[in-house]
Amino acid sequence: MTVLEARPTFKPVQEREVLKIANLSFRYGVGEIILQKLNCQILQGEKIGLIGANGAGKTTLFFLMSGILAPESGEISLLGKRVQTGEFRPEIGLVFQNPEDQLFCGTVRDDVAFGPENMGLTQEEVGRRVEEALALTGTLHLRDRVPHHLSGGEKCMVAIASILAMRPQLILYDEPTANLDLRARRRLIQFLQSSIETIILSSHDLESILEVCDRVLLLRRGQIIADGKPREVMGDRELMEANSLEVPHSLL
Amino acid sequence: MKLALERYANLNSPIHRWEPTSKFTALLALIFAFAFVQKLALLPPMVLVTILLYTLAKLPLSFLLSRLRYPGLFLTAAVIFLPFVAGETAIISWGIFTIKEEGCQAALLIVTRACCILTVSLVLFGTAPILSNIKAMRSLHIPDIIIDMTLLTYRYLEELGAMLKTMEQSMKLRGFNSGKLTPDYLRKIAHLSGTLFVRSYERSQRIYQAMILRGYGYATSPNYSKKTPIQLDCNSGILAATTLLVAIFFIVASLS
Repeated sequence: MTVLEARPTFKPVQEREVLKIANLSFRYGVGEIILQKLNCQILQGEKIGLIGANGAGKTTLFFLMSGILAPESGEISLLGKRVQTGEFRPEIGLVFQNPEDQLFCGTVRDDVAFGPENMGLTQEEVGRRVEEALALTGTLHLRDRVPHHLSGGEKCMVAIASILAMRPQLILYDEPTANLDLRARRRLIQFLQSSIETIILSSHDLESILEVCDRVLLLRRGQIIADGKPREVMGDRELMEANSLEVPHSLL
Repeated sequence: MKLALERYANLNSPIHRWEPTSKFTALLALIFAFAFVQKLALLPPMVLVTILLYTLAKLPLSFLLSRLRYPGLFLTAAVIFLPFVAGETAIISWGIFTIKEEGCQAALLIVTRACCILTVSLVLFGTAPILSNIKAMRSLHIPDIIIDMTLLTYRYLEELGAMLKTMEQSMKLRGFNSGKLTPDYLRKIAHLSGTLFVRSYERSQRIYQAMILRGYGYATSPNYSKKTPIQLDCNSGILAATTLLVAIFFIVASLS
């Protein structure tokens, strides 16, 4: 584990770099700075857990990565190409914390097809991707249902399917286990474990991060202050408590 | 959970069996024709046609009454003063209050027309799932932006309603008495409305962000605007033709 104090530290580039963040700073309007000179590099196939107290800047970082927000300074590159605000980049997908924010079409099938259709794919290819994404998330049987009639766990999986159908290389999950019951949470964890995409999982559910991720980034006041293996970072009681977090029970 | 408007969408009636695109076109034409009506003499046939349509649809009366409740309040507020202020021919004078004939006629015209239009709209949207109507709109080459807005409005109005209900329950559980019209009550209701507006704004912003991230507005010719071919059966053909003829009758009679 590396405990960083606002220092950019990159791993040596051995694998393909999916995302690179260099000196990223951001604030909302003229308010307090949310992210400051943040540096990070994400490699292909990595499963990264993003942890930190409320207000640490996790969701803001996701919005910047996906181009919803524009950085105040610094740069984000996705697959070697700079992320431009407002530009459609199907290579990156964001699963919102509340699936209600994501599902708006009349049927599950239409919702999952929304992204691929906007990519200009043929009807056959869209159909293929929808079936594939629904099958992967175990929601094929829900394809003709109205999304807002589904249970919380089903909505969550359909929201993931709607992102998977675009075949992104990097998927950002913002608190995906929030509001899920134990069974739905377990199903989601198993799904994330078997996922082949590069993922960044932001969560307060540290046990799920422990089960899914192979690397953890600890965010505090807009800076990555620790980067390392989940057991090492989250097992450090002093570090966790200093950041208003608790060591997961399974590490006690 | 079934949405309120779709509660009776799966009944078996000639109106339910009516092919959605021709139903949408014909009933919309009838609604426009009703909106044209300016003559009192046309009110009885208009009411008759509306009753006939509603009876054919086999929708329960309670459904209509529950749907007319809130528009009825607005309608009442809009016409209640008309008999007192519009026109010159006095019918009854009572101190400073004078009920005028032209005002009464205008109020009757507005109320009857609005009720008939709302009832026909209910027949249109209450006898098929919303998705069938959306598909019908697409088949009619209505611009995607209008269809998207319709779908989103429908989708999130329901959710706002649910949010309001939860917030009201939460207030009641903390002893809020909704029975007394006091300044404190009004202040709390204003806070509730404000919170609801802010929440709905934030929600709409997140939905829009989620849509943009999945390429909304990028595709020049998205496949989701594909049109479904119209397949007209005998029942639908007769209903569409009759309704369109009735609509034409009302327009011609109104203009003549």
